[in-house]
Amino acid sequence: MHDLGSFLMQTLQGLFYLLIFPGGLFALSLGLLFKGVDRKLEARFQRRVGPPILQPFIDCVKLAGKEEMVPRGAPRAYFVYAPLLGLVGMAVCAALLPIPGVTHGMTDMGDLLVYFYLMPVPAFALMMAGSSSGSPFGALGFSREMTIMLAYEIPLLLVILAVALLVGAPASAEFSLNEIVEFQLANGSFGLNPVMMPALLAYLMFLPGTMGVPPFDIPEAETEILEGPLLEYSGAGLAFFSLTSAIKSIVVLGLGVVLFFPGTLPGGILVNIPWFVLKCFMLMLVALTFVKVASARIRIDQAFRFYIKYPTPLAALSLILVWVSR
Amino acid sequence: MSFISDMTVRSPWLFRINAGSCNGCDVELATTAFIPRYDVERLGCKYCGSPRHADIVFITGPLTVRMKDKVLRVWHDIPEPKVTIAVGICPISGGVFRGGHPIAGPVDRYLPVDVNVPGCPPRPQAIMEGVLLAKDIWLERVRAQEEARQSLKKLGARPEEKKEEPFIDAGYL
Amino acid sequence: MLGIFKILLRNLRQGPATHPFPFAEAHTPPRFRGRVTMLPEKCVGCGVCAHVCPGEAIRLQPSLDNTGYSFSIWHNSCALCGSCRHFCPTGAISLTNDWHLSHRQSEKYTTAEHHLVPYLRCAGCGEPIRMLPPELAARIYAHKPPGVENLGELMKLCPACRRLEILKREAIAAANA
Repeated sequence: MHDLGSFLMQTLQGLFYLLIFPGGLFALSLGLLFKGVDRKLEARFQRRVGPPILQPFIDCVKLAGKEEMVPRGAPRAYFVYAPLLGLVGMAVCAALLPIPGVTHGMTDMGDLLVYFYLMPVPAFALMMAGSSSGSPFGALGFSREMTIMLAYEIPLLLVILAVALLVGAPASAEFSLNEIVEFQLANGSFGLNPVMMPALLAYLMFLPGTMGVPPFDIPEAETEILEGPLLEYSGAGLAFFSLTSAIKSIVVLGLGVVLFFPGTLPGGILVNIPWFVLKCFMLMLVALTFVKVASARIRIDQAFRFYIKYPTPLAALSLILVWVSR
Repeated sequence: MSFISDMTVRSPWLFRINAGSCNGCDVELATTAFIPRYDVERLGCKYCGSPRHADIVFITGPLTVRMKDKVLRVWHDIPEPKVTIAVGICPISGGVFRGGHPIAGPVDRYLPVDVNVPGCPPRPQAIMEGVLLAKDIWLERVRAQEEARQSLKKLGARPEEKKEEPFIDAGYL
Repeated sequence: MLGIFKILLRNLRQGPATHPFPFAEAHTPPRFRGRVTMLPEKCVGCGVCAHVCPGEAIRLQPSLDNTGYSFSIWHNSCALCGSCRHFCPTGAISLTNDWHLSHRQSEKYTTAEHHLVPYLRCAGCGEPIRMLPPELAARIYAHKPPGVENLGELMKLCPACRRLEILKREAIAAANA
C-alpha cells in the first residue's frame, strides 16, 4: 500500500511539473506573454503603437476555432501530429528546467545532454511539417531549417561542454543542471566569469537562430517562401506551433539563465520567480528583441557562415580556456 | 461563448490576393500595414504569407481571365470562417478596365464578397474602415457558427462530415 | 552597425507616430479627392463628364416620360480622377473630401448618387429643352447680338426658336438702322 501511495504521489508530482509548473501552463503563459511584450516593444522601436500585450493569447484562441485543412496528398498522420511532437518535446524540456531558488525541475536529473537532444525537437517538428505538407515551399523551408539547425547546434554543443567541464573540474564533466546551479551559487555566476564570457556571447548568438527571429528567420520567411513549413497549417495545428515557439522561448532563455546567471535573491519562492522571469526578460531583450528590430533577414548561406565564423570559435575559445585552467 | 467569439475577432489576420491589379491598391495595403502612421497591427491584424492562416482576405484588381482560376483556388484555400474585402474599384465593378477583353470580373460574380472599399486606390484609413466592417461581419459569422454547433448538439445530431474541399485545377500555365 | 541602435533609441524616446484614426476622426486635407457630387440646378446636361469619365461612372439618360434626364454617379466605378470636375463647363460637378465609402456588399448597388434633372419647356414651341445657365449664356452671346437687351428671355427658348428669335431681332434692328 505504501509503495502504491508513494507511486501515486510521484506520478501526481510529475504531472504537476509537466503540466503546471515549471512546464506546461507556467511556461506557456509566460512564453505567450513574452511574445506579446516582444511584439509591443518591436512596435515601439518602429514608432508604432503595436498590438495589445495579450495578443498572442487572442491569436491562439482564434486559431483554435478555425477550420483545419489537410492538403490533398499529404500523409495525414505526419501532418497532424508534427505540431504535437514539437509541443510535447518542449513541454518536457520546460518541466526539466530548474528555476534557481524555486524548484529543481521534474526530476533531479535535469541534464544538459537531455536538453541537447530535446531542444531540436521543435525544429524536427517543423521539418516533418514542411516535408509532409506536399508543398514546394514547405520542402524549401525544410531544407533551410535543417541547414540552420546544423549551424547553430555546433556552438550550443561547445557551450554545453565548456560549462560541463568547468563544473566537473578538475577530473570529470558534470552535466546535471542542478549541480551546475549549485556550483554557480557557490562560486559565482558564469556570466561574470571572464573564462566563460566568449561562451555567453556564443549563447546569445545561438538564441536568435534557434528562435527563428530576424535575421535568422530564414526557414519561415513569410515574404519569400510564404512561411515555409507552416504554409499549409491552419487552425489548431498553427496554434500548436505558436505555443511550441512560446514554450521554446522560455526554455532557451531559462537555460541561458541557468547556465550563466543563476544567482538567487534571499526571500524564497515569491521573490525568486519574478527574479527568474526578469532575468529571462533581460536576456530576451538583448538577444532577441534588439537583434530583431535592428536587422533584416539574411540568406541561408550567410547565416551558416555566420554561425561557423563567430559563435563556434567563441564557444571553442571558452572550451579551451576551461580546459587549460582546470 | 460570446467571450470566445469576442476574443476571436480581435485577431484578424490579413491576406491579400492580387487579381491582376495595377499594384496601386497593393501599395496602399502595404502602407496600411507597415507605416507607423496607420499601424494596423494595433487592431490585432497581421499580414500573413499563407492563405491558410488568413481570416480576412483583400482582393485587388479586376480579376483578369488568366488570374480567375488561381484566385478562386487561393480563395478556397482560406479556412472558414473568412471575410472577403474587395479593395479598389476594380474588383467591385471592373473600374476603368470594365468590359475589356481580358477581364473576367467583377469579383463578386465568382466569390461572395462581403465588404467593398471603393477608391482608386482607397486611402489607408478607408481600408481600415473596411477592416472594421469586416470584423463586424466576422463576429456575426463566428456567432452563427457557434449557435449552429450548439443547436446541433441539442438535437443530438452528429456534426456533418466535412466535405472534400472544392478543388479548382488551375493547371499551372 | 551601431547607428541603427541610435535610431531605435530615438524612436523609443519619441514615442509612436500613429494616428488615432479608428478611434478618432482622421485628418483630411480640404482638397482631398473624395466622393463625387453634382448640383442639378447647375447641370446643363451636356454629357461631357460622362464622355471623359474613364470608368463610366457617370450616366446620363433621358427619363422614360421625357420630362427630364437622370444623372447617376456610381461611386463603385469612380476612379476619383477629377476629369469630370475639370471638364464641366458650369462647375456643376465637384469632388468632396468625403472618403467614408467603405460599405457592405448589400449596399453595393445603392452606393451611388442619382438626380433627376427636369427639362424646361420652350416658351415658343413647347419642346422640352435643357436648362441654359446665365453664365454660359453670357459666354455664348458675349458678342451681344443686336436687338437683344435681355438674355433671360432668350434662355427660355429652345435652340431653334432662339435662332429664329435672334434672326428676327437682327432683321428688325437692321431695318431700324
